[in-house]
Amino acid sequence: MSPETETAGAKGAPPPVIPVTPVTSVTALDERQLRRRERKFHNRDKWWGYALIAPAGLGLAVFYLWPVLQTLYYSFTEWGPFGGTTWIGIENYRTLVSDPEVWQSLGNTLFYTVLVLLGIPVAMVLAVLLNLKGMRGTGFYRTLYFLPVVTMPAAVAVVWRWLYNGDIGIINEALAKIGIDGAYWVSDPSTVRFAVAAVGVWMTVGYNMILLLAGLQGIPQDYYEAASLDGAGRVRQFFSVTLPLLSPTLFFTTVLSVIQSLQVFDLIYMILGANTAVGPTNPAYSEGQTVVMLFFQKSFYDNQRAYGAAIVCVLFVLIMALTALQFRLQKRWVHYG
Amino acid sequence: MRRRSLLAAAATTTLAAGCGAPTVTTSDSLRGRITYGVWDVYQMKAMRKAAKEFERTHPGTTVDVQLTPNATYWTKLRTACSGGSAPDVFWLNGPNFGLYADAGQLLPLDTEGADAVFDPGDFPADMTKLYRWKGTQYGAPKDFDTIALWFNKELFDRAKVDYPDGSWTWQDMINNAQRLTDRKRGTYGIAAPVRSQENYYDSIAQAGGWVISKDRTKSGYADPKTMEGLKLWVDLIHRYRASPTLQQLTDTDPTQMFQAGKLAMGWEASYNAATFWADPELRAKIDVAPLPRGRHRASILHGLANVIYARTKYPALAREFVRFMSGKSASLIQAKYGTAIPARNGTQKPWTDGMPKFDLQVHLDAVDYSVPYPISTNTAAWAHKELQMLARAWSGNESLDSATRSLTKAMDKLLAQEGKARS
Amino acid sequence: MAETTTAQPTRPAGGHPAPGGPASERPAAEPPAAKRRVRRASRQGRLWPAHVLLSLGAVVTVFPLLWQVLTSFKSFGESTRVPPTIWPEHWQWSNFSTVFDSIPFGDQFVNTVLMTLIRTVAQLLLCSMAAYAFARIRFPGRGAIFLGFLAVLMVPSQLFLLPQYQIMQDLGWLNSLQALSVPGMFSAFGTFLLRQFFLGLPGELEEAARLDGANPFTVYWRIALPLARPGLLALGILTFLWSWNDLMWPLVVNTDPAQMPLSAGLASLQGSHMTDYPVLMAGSLLATLPVIVVFVAMQRHFIQGIAFSGMKG
Repeated sequence: MSPETETAGAKGAPPPVIPVTPVTSVTALDERQLRRRERKFHNRDKWWGYALIAPAGLGLAVFYLWPVLQTLYYSFTEWGPFGGTTWIGIENYRTLVSDPEVWQSLGNTLFYTVLVLLGIPVAMVLAVLLNLKGMRGTGFYRTLYFLPVVTMPAAVAVVWRWLYNGDIGIINEALAKIGIDGAYWVSDPSTVRFAVAAVGVWMTVGYNMILLLAGLQGIPQDYYEAASLDGAGRVRQFFSVTLPLLSPTLFFTTVLSVIQSLQVFDLIYMILGANTAVGPTNPAYSEGQTVVMLFFQKSFYDNQRAYGAAIVCVLFVLIMALTALQFRLQKRWVHYG
Repeated sequence: MRRRSLLAAAATTTLAAGCGAPTVTTSDSLRGRITYGVWDVYQMKAMRKAAKEFERTHPGTTVDVQLTPNATYWTKLRTACSGGSAPDVFWLNGPNFGLYADAGQLLPLDTEGADAVFDPGDFPADMTKLYRWKGTQYGAPKDFDTIALWFNKELFDRAKVDYPDGSWTWQDMINNAQRLTDRKRGTYGIAAPVRSQENYYDSIAQAGGWVISKDRTKSGYADPKTMEGLKLWVDLIHRYRASPTLQQLTDTDPTQMFQAGKLAMGWEASYNAATFWADPELRAKIDVAPLPRGRHRASILHGLANVIYARTKYPALAREFVRFMSGKSASLIQAKYGTAIPARNGTQKPWTDGMPKFDLQVHLDAVDYSVPYPISTNTAAWAHKELQMLARAWSGNESLDSATRSLTKAMDKLLAQEGKARS
Repeated sequence: MAETTTAQPTRPAGGHPAPGGPASERPAAEPPAAKRRVRRASRQGRLWPAHVLLSLGAVVTVFPLLWQVLTSFKSFGESTRVPPTIWPEHWQWSNFSTVFDSIPFGDQFVNTVLMTLIRTVAQLLLCSMAAYAFARIRFPGRGAIFLGFLAVLMVPSQLFLLPQYQIMQDLGWLNSLQALSVPGMFSAFGTFLLRQFFLGLPGELEEAARLDGANPFTVYWRIALPLARPGLLALGILTFLWSWNDLMWPLVVNTDPAQMPLSAGLASLQGSHMTDYPVLMAGSLLATLPVIVVFVAMQRHFIQGIAFSGMKG
């Protein structure tokens, strides 16, 4: 998987209003002077701008944007397994709308995304604990929590399958000790989505924790001191200082998590056993299948690449829409500066 | 390293061109470097050994064996074929053969006359037929696998049940599977997973049913006899309660359950023999018998073939390599390494000899009553649906009737699409 | 850099307050040493519930990986046991040497290192250039181009596999180091991250340099880039981590085992009918080790980089 999309990212938080210090520099130019000079530079600068962007821009255009446009085009065609396309208009999309598998996988993916977002509060708690005054061993904890991010999915998936195994899994063995009869977590339609989301949280909690921890460490200590002088206790400090000041980081983490979760693929794919010959016979397959899994199945195995292209285009639009929506909503809860 | 191989390639081509110009002899076209695409890491040793042997007997040639794991093999191969960069010679299996043959991606192979790549008489007829498309041979059978009944002697002894033999019928298997099931210990008589080649394709043939019509245009899932072949497995789980449920079989692979001594019997393919043999403890506990008989005796025959890419730059050399791979010495090398049974008649002995405690002759004899693996142009598309829809009946969420009804409809539709694409 | 006891470096430039580290690092009004020790001890005493929570979470997080470590020492037969054994019956160290017999580990290690280095260095350079332009230079079409960059972020990476493969095929680059590294040299995420970072830097120094007649490239190279060190470090570490474990792309584009990175080499150990999982686990442990070492050594910089970047707003 290429790093770009795995990380994903978000549309820029609007130019962050890092407290721009009132100009105290030696070059105390007044606004008007500055603007005039700026205009003079502007024309020459323009070309510098293009030149600086060109290398990255061309690379991205060739290796990333071009494939996206191609895919978009293919989604309106009938695409032979060895090339050769015929334009069929919106036929693929029409099929897609009446395909229950598509709707099911969309629902699964959204459900997964919501559950994985619940991991953010967990990451938050961990970050706050690690940021406590005088906390020792933070480096040790950080490393442990971050480990899942750097391990190889192929090996880890096998382990998770063992853990979740209904007959012999460690989880059920532990539950049995306290008298609970555990489920067949990843092959039971009613549990599979929770089981899979738990892995999603496991994968992302360390990364989110680090982002949040970085955000926490960026909060000036004076704010807390001021709050405590006002007589605010720990809890009130958290809600009146920490949370508002951390909201930009929280926002960033959320946007990132949503994008990543909507694109979730490889580990889930392997945990469901979809990479094996009998993958589709998992009784919980359709309840566990994500959109990218469906796309992968259609375009890589079923020789229905054009249909797969249409599916992934729908996902792309959904991701854009949800990201745009979050930016709309951020004004309500994110405090900058 | 890349540069070195480029240079080497350049050197060989100029060399070939250099001496090819004045005196055109047949041996000149038999020089060069070809690539050989394979997907199973456990056969790499055998394939490399065979390639070395070819290089030794054909001076001036190099064979690069390229391994792409199964997961990405097919995706990549399709893209490579459309872009002209597929390996010169590569493995193909039944479910994917139709797609490549139909799209003209493969070079026809002569089976008669002086240029014959192989003599069909040396191979099981069904294997040759599997790789024949509209009257033209495109693949040279490399290996084959058949299905047989593997059983755990320890569990049979404990339940005081006689070991299975060639006389067993379905009913014998069912009765004994029930006797062998011991839920307290977590052991089951048999496993009934939704596996096509190892399980229901065989039982369908044994019941006298069919998966796909001879002209590859119609699904056979509406045929009552086909249903009988499916019902056997559903009943083993739900009616006779002699198999783990589909959920259990999803969580733990049935072959692994068998290896772990949790299954008394399993229908397993011959390629697993080497895996079983690799565990010395298991080796002593298990053996193999013919599949029980339904209305008929039957076992699915499938195997891989070596095919040549239509746009190879070295067609003559590629043919020579496939000829060599179909020959006796390469087949014997394969047999010795044990993972796959070489397809060539009379070269299987090293395979059976390598695992003397198993009655592997059973797998070889199965060729006599074998049924070819069902395929069409785009097998993958309906095979996926088939697994998904049958699983609904296996899990008990849907009746077998209703599952096969929707499967018939879906499969017929996909087959009709193939027909449309062809015309 | 050592752990929490070292003071945080001050913010690169501009008059922002240094981010408050844990209180122990802050040069607060100096209490006598003895008193301080007592206070620290009592604080540690009060922190035990936090430690309990964190340790519990850590156990849950690490357990699957621990299991992986244990499995890497089991024999193949033992790994297929139902129910599975927890502790290996015999610690089979030979799994690790089998890894070296099964794949050209040395070659693949070198490939991984080269691939990672090329991608990381290229991303740092290319992304920072573009990011600087987006953050500081005004030119027509800037917003539109930036949107194009962002769009790339929202596309699932599986979509790129085949088109990129086709490009590599057309270029004749299959089975080469270029094929492994080139598409990964460009990153929309990196550009976005660094743009945020540049936006957060105070601009006075740059302004001054511009007024002295320096061109935008000189300003970027001489002034902005050095200031952006923490952001570059963060991006560098992220790129390193992701590129080290990148699997699908190498698997598709390079089939020659000698040209594969470790991730793909290990994946090719999975046979079509059987997989020797202990060996696979052993291999992936060996392959992950360098990443863990890098993370442990650099985590402090990593967090600072993220903390300083615009992400926190």
